[in-house]
Amino acid sequence: MDHTARTLPVVQNAPSEREGDLRLGDIPLRQAVELIHIDLPVEQAEPLYERGILPGCTICPVRSSPSGDPIVSIDGSLLALRREVADCLCVRILSQLKDAS
Amino acid sequence: MDEFLAADDRDIVTAASGDPAVELAPMIALVGPPNSGKTTLFNQLTGLRQKVANYPGVTVEKHVGKVRVADDREVDLVDLPGVHGFSARTLDEKVTRDVLEGRVEGINSPDALVLIVDSTRLENQLMLVEPVLQLELPTLLVLNMSDELEARGGRVDDTALAKRLGVEIVRTSARIGVGVDGVRDYMATVRVSAPDLDAPKRSLTNVPGGVPLPMVDAFAARRRLVREIVQEAGFVQPGPSRFSERLDSLFLHRVWGPLVFLAVVMLVFESIFTWAVPLMDGVEFLIASSGNWVATNMPDTWLRSLLIDGVWAGVGSVIIFLPQILILFLFLGVLEDSGYMARAAVIADRMMYRVGLQGRAFLPLLSGYACAVPAILAARTIDDERDRLATIFVTPFMTCSARLPVYALLIAAFIPDEPLLGPLLGKRAGVLLGLYALGIVAAVGTAFLLKRTLLRAEPASFLMELPPYRIPSPRTLALRLLDRSKIFLRRAGRVIFAVTIVLWTLTQFPRTELGAPNIEESALGKIGHVIEPTIAPLGFDWRVGVGLVTSLAAREVIIGSLGTIYGVETADDESVALQDVLRRDLSPGAAIGLLVFFAFALQCMSTVAVMRRETGGWKWPTLQFTYMLLLGYVGAFIAVRVF
Repeated sequence: MDHTARTLPVVQNAPSEREGDLRLGDIPLRQAVELIHIDLPVEQAEPLYERGILPGCTICPVRSSPSGDPIVSIDGSLLALRREVADCLCVRILSQLKDAS
Repeated sequence: MDEFLAADDRDIVTAASGDPAVELAPMIALVGPPNSGKTTLFNQLTGLRQKVANYPGVTVEKHVGKVRVADDREVDLVDLPGVHGFSARTLDEKVTRDVLEGRVEGINSPDALVLIVDSTRLENQLMLVEPVLQLELPTLLVLNMSDELEARGGRVDDTALAKRLGVEIVRTSARIGVGVDGVRDYMATVRVSAPDLDAPKRSLTNVPGGVPLPMVDAFAARRRLVREIVQEAGFVQPGPSRFSERLDSLFLHRVWGPLVFLAVVMLVFESIFTWAVPLMDGVEFLIASSGNWVATNMPDTWLRSLLIDGVWAGVGSVIIFLPQILILFLFLGVLEDSGYMARAAVIADRMMYRVGLQGRAFLPLLSGYACAVPAILAARTIDDERDRLATIFVTPFMTCSARLPVYALLIAAFIPDEPLLGPLLGKRAGVLLGLYALGIVAAVGTAFLLKRTLLRAEPASFLMELPPYRIPSPRTLALRLLDRSKIFLRRAGRVIFAVTIVLWTLTQFPRTELGAPNIEESALGKIGHVIEPTIAPLGFDWRVGVGLVTSLAAREVIIGSLGTIYGVETADDESVALQDVLRRDLSPGAAIGLLVFFAFALQCMSTVAVMRRETGGWKWPTLQFTYMLLLGYVGAFIAVRVF
């Protein structure tokens, strides 16, 4: 699971067939993704921005909470989200950064 | 604004007088994100030389301390709340911004800043650096947890980073005290800056001023800048903490996670209800014996009566809870500082979310089983204001320990000691469990209702940072316990003191030739008679009425009052004599009604006072008191007819 901290470099223009449709909530564990867009009103998105959850950043779901909410790794921090929020984060898969181990 | 200027003028006068004896100590602000070790560093630097108060008008705690930087010099240090940004969306962010901009009454505008970050997550933490540097104050960047950074294979070039940012840098491991002297050395160089009245007002925002960028772009620009900075400084992100990962696979496991969670909750219960008992007995003994000592060494005057029947009885009834509250806070402190509390909040979140609350509400609600006063204070960690209000509104429904003596007395008097469900669960235990459940049901129902009416809002985006697990620092724990007990004694003590004096006075008038009247003739007894018609439908007479009025001071005070009214010499929850007279005067239905009343009604002026403080007005405490009283009345009204 050591790949979780490896968030650099962000790959621009990663191949993606379903851009905009894919949500963080659909991503399997340990699959790094790039955030494209946050589909939330500004006041709800601002706390995400402050923690570095911004378009272009790399997020990797590392765990599920017992109730099935995602726990993600971003810039070396672990963040627990609600699935309702994860379903508002549009992402694309960074296939180049898939776990090599 | 005027006050702000006036304060500045005073400073100039002092500086101009040239008297070295009145030289002002420089003011340094300690700022950083949550979980960066900020408070640990603050405690290392100030120790016991710190004061906790609230910022004017808000509920954010202000920690200010003195740091001795040389034999004859000290500086003032203010520990600001941990923040991720300066949106002023939360109270913490607003207060931090106001202090940094020098706009808080009673705190001088800072002469220098210490920005502390967790160096294992440098890139994430440096999001604060751009807005902080815009203040153009002398700044020290503290790279904390540098031992962990190296141990996990991370790297950063301090010199390059210092050069790029134009600040001084010190590496620390504040938890074990490494590097703290370096911070002190920096502080020794800080001098009071003369206020420059021509300088433009400093301002801090999440969105850089003047540029009408959408917020997301402003943040993205900051993010790119931070990435450039850390790349230039050769930052290598350390690998994940294996230790934390292993613990998380247990604590956040689908099956084991909730089981560990339950075990922790039960351990906290066990500690506050079993381990605290000998300590509470000890405190009770001290109060009783000191009271006796005063009683035997004072002439029998009204003053003695005021001290013994009023102050000792009333204030003593609150101090008894101190051991329990200390044990509770020791536990919560360990859970919090070790990193487990964040996991517990994640586990509780889904459940809390269903009733309209969030994971962070779990801690205050759990604390509520000891006492609502510290629980309401603990709710400050809830960042969403509506969630916080809903949480502190329902917290007093949790069965606090002041209810227990009342429950114990009435259950022993009215509920037969018979098996209910086989030999394991007796009727008495069943009733007690039922009362706990009643509190939970009322809390859940009320939260549900509130979030659909008064506090309706889009669900806040619950975000919980899960810091790596760490061994808590005993020093930080001890200082926090000291803090909490001071706050509890001050808040609860003052109110109880005032209420008991008023109640005592009501028992002393109108005077008779023999001195104090008997209780039925006293002003308090008359109040009991006045409210009797109101409570008659619940099966309560004027005596219970007097008990209910006095229990406003603290719930268990009703036992002592009923004892006095019935002329029972030794009134406590095990008093057989009091049980006998109660059985004579109360029907079994009315007794159940009284239990239900106590489960619901907000018979606690300390809670009301804390609610006023924490909500900044009378609106919420009034609403809460009325709502809980109505619920108690209706509940008792139904109970007396059903049973």
